[in-house]
Amino acid sequence: MTTPMLLQSAIPGLASPAIVAIALVYFVVVAAIATWATRRTKNANDFFVAGAGVGLWTLAIAKMAATLSGFAFIGGPGLVYTIGIGAVFIILPGALSNALGAWVLAKRMRLLGEARGLFTVPDAIGARYGSRLAQGLAAVAVLVAVTGYIATNLLALGLVIDAIFGTGLSTGIWIGTAIILAYSVAGGIMAGIYTDVFQGSVMAIASAIVFAFALKSGGGMEHISRTIMAADAAYLGPWGRIGPMAAISFFFVFGVGSLGQPHVIHKFYMLRDPRQLKWYPLLMTVALAVTQLLYVSVGVAMKALVLGGSMAPLAKADQATPQFLLHYTPTLVAGLVFSGVAAAIMATVNSFMSVGAAALTHDLPIAFGGRVTDELRVGRISTVVLAVVAAAVAQASGTLVAFLGIFGWGLFGSTIVPALAIGLNWEGATRAGAIASIATGLGITLVGETLGYFKVYGLPAGVSISALALVSSLLAFFAVSWLTRDTARGSIDPDIQIVMNA
Amino acid sequence: MKRLLVRLLVTSCGLVAIAYVSMFVSATPPAWAPISLAIGANGVIMTLMAIGAVRHDTMPRSLVWTFLGLFVLCAGAFVVALLLPAHEGPGGPLLLGLPMRSAIVLYSVGVVPIAILPLAYALTFESSTLSEDDLVRVRAAHASTRESEQA
Repeated sequence: MTTPMLLQSAIPGLASPAIVAIALVYFVVVAAIATWATRRTKNANDFFVAGAGVGLWTLAIAKMAATLSGFAFIGGPGLVYTIGIGAVFIILPGALSNALGAWVLAKRMRLLGEARGLFTVPDAIGARYGSRLAQGLAAVAVLVAVTGYIATNLLALGLVIDAIFGTGLSTGIWIGTAIILAYSVAGGIMAGIYTDVFQGSVMAIASAIVFAFALKSGGGMEHISRTIMAADAAYLGPWGRIGPMAAISFFFVFGVGSLGQPHVIHKFYMLRDPRQLKWYPLLMTVALAVTQLLYVSVGVAMKALVLGGSMAPLAKADQATPQFLLHYTPTLVAGLVFSGVAAAIMATVNSFMSVGAAALTHDLPIAFGGRVTDELRVGRISTVVLAVVAAAVAQASGTLVAFLGIFGWGLFGSTIVPALAIGLNWEGATRAGAIASIATGLGITLVGETLGYFKVYGLPAGVSISALALVSSLLAFFAVSWLTRDTARGSIDPDIQIVMNA
Repeated sequence: MKRLLVRLLVTSCGLVAIAYVSMFVSATPPAWAPISLAIGANGVIMTLMAIGAVRHDTMPRSLVWTFLGLFVLCAGAFVVALLLPAHEGPGGPLLLGLPMRSAIVLYSVGVVPIAILPLAYALTFESSTLSEDDLVRVRAAHASTRESEQA
C-alpha cells in the first residue's frame, strides 16, 4: 500500500521577485501576529491551551490549519497524480470526521478541561481511568509520533524555503525551524493558534483560487475525465490504481484515526464557551472542504495535461503542484500558494511542538509520580529540545525522516482512539483495556513499520500496518475490557462520570 | 441503547478484522473482503458517532434515522461501486463529470454527509448535546472537587 508522504523531493526554483515579495510579506505578518500573541502568554495554561479563551471561528480555522500540513498542497496532489482517485480516500472521511469528532470528543474534552483543568490528551486518558501508566504510555506514543512528524514537516519547510529564496536545503531547514521556534517558544500555542488563523485563511484562499485554475486548464471536469479515461481507464476508477482494499483502508484509517490526532483534538480544551460547539462541525467541515480542493484538482488536472500532451511527464510526483503553478497560474497566485504551503507546515509544526512539549513537561513527570513546578519555563525548554532534535534528524538523513514520518497518523490513531474516544463514551471500558489497547497500537505500529521499512516482512497488497494496528487495538480494548469488566463498576471518579453523562 | 451500539461497534471492528485476515490467508483476495471492509469501516464510524450522541441511554429519533440513513448511503455506495462492472474506459458514462462508479462513491460519501451531519448536530445541540443545566452540573462538580481538595 502506498504510504502518503508530506514532501519527498526538491521542488523547482521559484525565486522570482514577486514570489519572494509575497513570501516575505507572509513571514512579516506571521511575526507580527506572533509578537502580539506572545505578550498575552503569562502562564502554562496560556502556553499549552491558549488560556482556554479561544472563540469558535479561531478554533475551527486553527484546527483546519493544524490538520492539513503541507501534505495537502504538495505530497497529496503528487499522490493523486500517481495513483488517481485512490488518493482521494485519504481526505474523503473529512465529510464525516468533523461531526464524528464533535459528537464523540468535543463536548467531553471541553468539559474535562472545565472540570479538571486538563490540557493534554494523555491527561484526559489518565483522568478517565485514574491511571498514571495509561497516561504515560499515551505520552510515549505522542512523543514518538510527534518527533517524526516534526522532522518530516521541517524537511518539507526547508525544501519550500530553498525553492523560494534559494538558500540551500540545510539552511532552509534551520531558517524554518528558527522562525517556528521563535513564536512557539515565546508564545506557545497562544501564538500558534492566532498565526494559524492567518495561515489557515491563506491556505483556504489559495486552494479555492487554484481549484478554479485547475478546472480551467483542463477544459472543465468532464473534459479532464474524458482525456484521462481515453488513456488510463483505472486512474479515474473508484479505487484508482491501488485497488479497493487499499483505498477503503485509507478511508478507515483516516476516518477513525481522526479521533486520535492529539495536535487537533487537544484544541477542544481551548474553546472559551462550550456552547459555541453547536456550529463547530459546520465551520470546520466547510473550511476543510474548501482547503482540500487543491489536493484533488491539481493532481487530476496535471494528469490530464500530461496525457493530453500539454505537459511533459513529471520526473517526480511532488512536482505536480509547483509545475502546475508555474505554468498555469499567475505569479501572484503561485506566491500565495507557496506561502500557503509554508503556512500549512508551520501551523502543523507549532501544534506538534505544543503537544510534544506538553508530553515531556506534564504527562511523563505525572506518569512517574512527580510534577514540574515551573511548567511554562520547562515547556519552553522542551519545545527547543524537540525542535532541534527534529531539525537535526531532518537534516541528517532523508531516509530516517521518511521512516519516522510514516508512523504518525496510524500511531496516534491506534493508541488514542480506543482509550480516549470510546473510553469517554462507554462506562464498560476498563483501565486494563485502555492499557492493552495503547500497548497493542504502539507495539504493532513500531514493530510492523520497522520490519516493513527494512524489508524483513511485507504485507499483502492493500493491507497497511496503520489499519492493522488500529483494528487490533480496538479489538484488544474491547476484549480486555470485557475480561476485566468486574473492575469497571465504580472505577470512574464522580466528576469524570458527570462529564461522561453530560 | 448504548449496549446495542457497543455490540454493533464490536461487530463492525470484527468485519474489518476479518477482511484483513482473509488477505493473509488466501493468495488471491476473496471478492467479499473489500465489501466486509467497507461495511465494517462505515459501521465503525457511524456507531461511534451514535455512541457519542447517546445521552441517558436514549437518542432523538431524528438522529437515529440520520445515522442509519447515512450508514446505508455510505456503505451502500462502496458496495455498489464494488459490485458494478467497470466502465471507466473511453466513452464510459459520466455522472457530474466523473465516471459513474467513482461519482457514486465520492458524492455519496464525500458530499452528501457535509450537507446533513453538521446541521443534524447543530439542530439537536441544545436538546441532546449540551444544555445550560449540563454546564451548571459540571461546574458544580468542579467546585465540589476543589473544596474537598482544599479541605
